[in-house]
Amino acid sequence: MSRNFFGLMRSSAPPATEAPDAIGSERAAPPPPPTMKQDDAASAGVHLDPNLEAVRHDFTEEVDMALKLRGVSAFYGSFQAIDRMTMPIPRNRVTALIGPSGCGKSTLLRCCNRMNDLIPGARIAGEIEFEGRNLLDPTVDAVDVRRRIGMVFQKPNPFPKSIYENVAFGARINGYSGDMDRLVEDSLRRAALWDEVKDELDKSGLALSGGQQQRLCIARAIAVQPEIILMDEPASALDPVATLKIEDLMRELAEHYTIVVVTHNMQQAGRVSDYTAFLLAGEERVGRLVEFGPTQEIFTNPLDQRTEDYITGRYG
Amino acid sequence: MSAAMPSAQLTAFAPRIRIRRGFSVGFMVVALLAITVSMLMLGALIVEIAVDGAARLFTDGSATSQEVRGGTLIDLPMPDGMIWLSWALPVAILLPFFGLRVVRSVLSDQFARSRWIERSIGVLTTLPVAIFVHILYVRFESAYYIEYAKAIGVDDASGTIFQLFGEASGFQFVRLITAGLILPLGILAAGWLWSHRLRRPSLLLPAVAVVAWVVYLFLDPLFLSSYPSRVPAQAGLFSAITGTLYMMVITAAVAFPLGVGAAIYLEEYARRNWFSRMIQVNISNLAGVPSIIYGLLGLQVFVRVLEFERSVLAGACTMALLVMPIIVVSAQEALRTVPPSMREAAYAVGATRWQVIRFHVLPYAFGGMLTGNILAMSRAIGETAPLIAIGALTFIAFLADSPTDDFTVMPIQIFNWVQKPQSGFHEIAASGIIVLMLVLLVMNATAIIMRQRTRTDW
Ligand SMILES: Nc1ncnc2c1ncn2[C@@H]1O[C@H](COP(=O)(O)OP(=O)(O)OP(=O)(O)O)[C@@H](O)[C@H]1O
Ligand SMILES: [Mg+2]
Repeated sequence: MSRNFFGLMRSSAPPATEAPDAIGSERAAPPPPPTMKQDDAASAGVHLDPNLEAVRHDFTEEVDMALKLRGVSAFYGSFQAIDRMTMPIPRNRVTALIGPSGCGKSTLLRCCNRMNDLIPGARIAGEIEFEGRNLLDPTVDAVDVRRRIGMVFQKPNPFPKSIYENVAFGARINGYSGDMDRLVEDSLRRAALWDEVKDELDKSGLALSGGQQQRLCIARAIAVQPEIILMDEPASALDPVATLKIEDLMRELAEHYTIVVVTHNMQQAGRVSDYTAFLLAGEERVGRLVEFGPTQEIFTNPLDQRTEDYITGRYG
Repeated sequence: MSAAMPSAQLTAFAPRIRIRRGFSVGFMVVALLAITVSMLMLGALIVEIAVDGAARLFTDGSATSQEVRGGTLIDLPMPDGMIWLSWALPVAILLPFFGLRVVRSVLSDQFARSRWIERSIGVLTTLPVAIFVHILYVRFESAYYIEYAKAIGVDDASGTIFQLFGEASGFQFVRLITAGLILPLGILAAGWLWSHRLRRPSLLLPAVAVVAWVVYLFLDPLFLSSYPSRVPAQAGLFSAITGTLYMMVITAAVAFPLGVGAAIYLEEYARRNWFSRMIQVNISNLAGVPSIIYGLLGLQVFVRVLEFERSVLAGACTMALLVMPIIVVSAQEALRTVPPSMREAAYAVGATRWQVIRFHVLPYAFGGMLTGNILAMSRAIGETAPLIAIGALTFIAFLADSPTDDFTVMPIQIFNWVQKPQSGFHEIAASGIIVLMLVLLVMNATAIIMRQRTRTDW
């Protein structure tokens, strides 16, 4: 197993610009391959159907896990969207969720911060361990979960308020008592938006371009200082320049935050992520985890034929 | 190490909000005409009213005045000071503000693109038209007064009118200038203050001005400020108008919070089960219940059980019940226009349900709710049957000064006049209907404008 898989991945990525290389070389060290701990493996054994056990790559080293999903199933009414998914989300790493449309990527993401509580008729089974507790437990406060596990949506959705207010809102309602101006500036800087908006902070968030709006939403998410940021296709509606900016941003954020990102863009998954999960829905449209492992392994040496088919573009 | 991309590249994607739109020549011409005529009328109207009022104040002893039908024919020897004041005041207020802007834009390199130049020129072109129309108006008015004075046998009326033309011609000129130039400028400036993004001439102002003008020409002001009377020529709507206002204020104060609260509960809190569906269906049904039924309900509940008597309060509570379904349904619709993505965005930063409602849903939906409220009020203002049922009076020669007083409202007063045998009352009933219609028109127009202004493009 090559440890320098990031170098490998770069060679397979298209030479679009200098940016990914610059970012790649800036990274201190490639992430060590994680390992599933014994108890995880054991709890993964809750599967009744052995076929549900996703293919996992060899984990040779222990890695800190931000989230541990165990047998997570999600339902919309009587329709089951995802079925018993078991996977780790490594801390301070970028984890990509890939898979064809409708396989339950967004659903899985929304389970992780209890966003699906808001959908009438939606239901989740299984367990998601977060700091020693099951965050799906009804006694756990969903509001607190969402504060600590932020989310950036597929479609930019800034509030129709000023840029400043967009960023400050989350911190304010959470009782932030520090210097708000600094927090806003910090968050906007980290979202690589500050230079573009610093002179017009009272302009409406809706008056920004799509890419700027998406970065504003990212700034809004990090202003609350969550531990994990879930991103649902954050770059799907953006032009290549804005997309690269957001990818740069993800790499930078990964130094302090755990990031889970849904993407349809294989090159993007290759460029930004450390780990990749491949999801697939069968005939009955129920999404299942097929393969999880370090991105480089998944891309260069997939263990499951379906993963290879999807990555090479032979799947729907 | 952030912002690896040069920001110049990105600005290409960032749209500027201030977009200048090109006008077609046709549109410009029509808009200019409409604005000219209406500004002029509105201006003249305001000056007219102000001057009349001032004249009444300042010429107490010296003016020779003559009572004519419900009105007063006044010879207007205006004090000099007043003339200069009517000139100087608007100029003093507007010139620094408006003039400076023009000068600045002339000096700046944006001269060619300055909207201020455009507008000033547009306003200046209104002057000749203003003069012309105003002369027509003065002629018309004089002829009217002469005819009228003769008809009622006042001999010196013609002298009075001619004095207005002759000696006070300087004053006429002042009026003209003020009406034709200063006021339009002022109104444009006010429009600018109101909205920095007034991108095209609004046709609302012209419409309001024309209506106001027509009303001013044909409606005797005393009709609005007199109490009911046995003599048709002296009867007025005053107590009915104040009664209507009084009742509407209380109705809104009762119905709006309750209705909006119900809507928030149904949309944001209630689970979608058979119970909430039943409430929903019932609310829709209540909107269709004949208003007389509400009257009977009000009679029993408010007048008898709660012992409000035939008071403003009883009427207002009955009306509140009547319009509640409208308010609830429109508030629900307003809440539904707030996209789910907004709520999700707020939830995703850790907002509680109430915070989401308080800081996001309500502010974005408030305009729509107010619109619904105004529409509901305009329904209530024309309702007669329920108030007759609870026994509102028709002959009120005083003003209600507490919510427990007797009262009357416009439609009831009109209904009463129509019933009378004398044809004089039928005529004033017609006038009353016009007043009522105008009030409705204004309310509905306000609702429409509010909906436009508070709309958010998601
Ligand atoms: N609110 C909902 N109510 C009912 N069914 C839903 C809802 N949201 C998603 N689904 C269903 O759940 C399944 C998974 O949807 P999901 O949005 O998670 O897919 P996805 O992988 O994110 O797809 P895409 O890549 O197109 O975004 C789909 O079959 C979808 O029809
Ligand atoms: Mg999705």
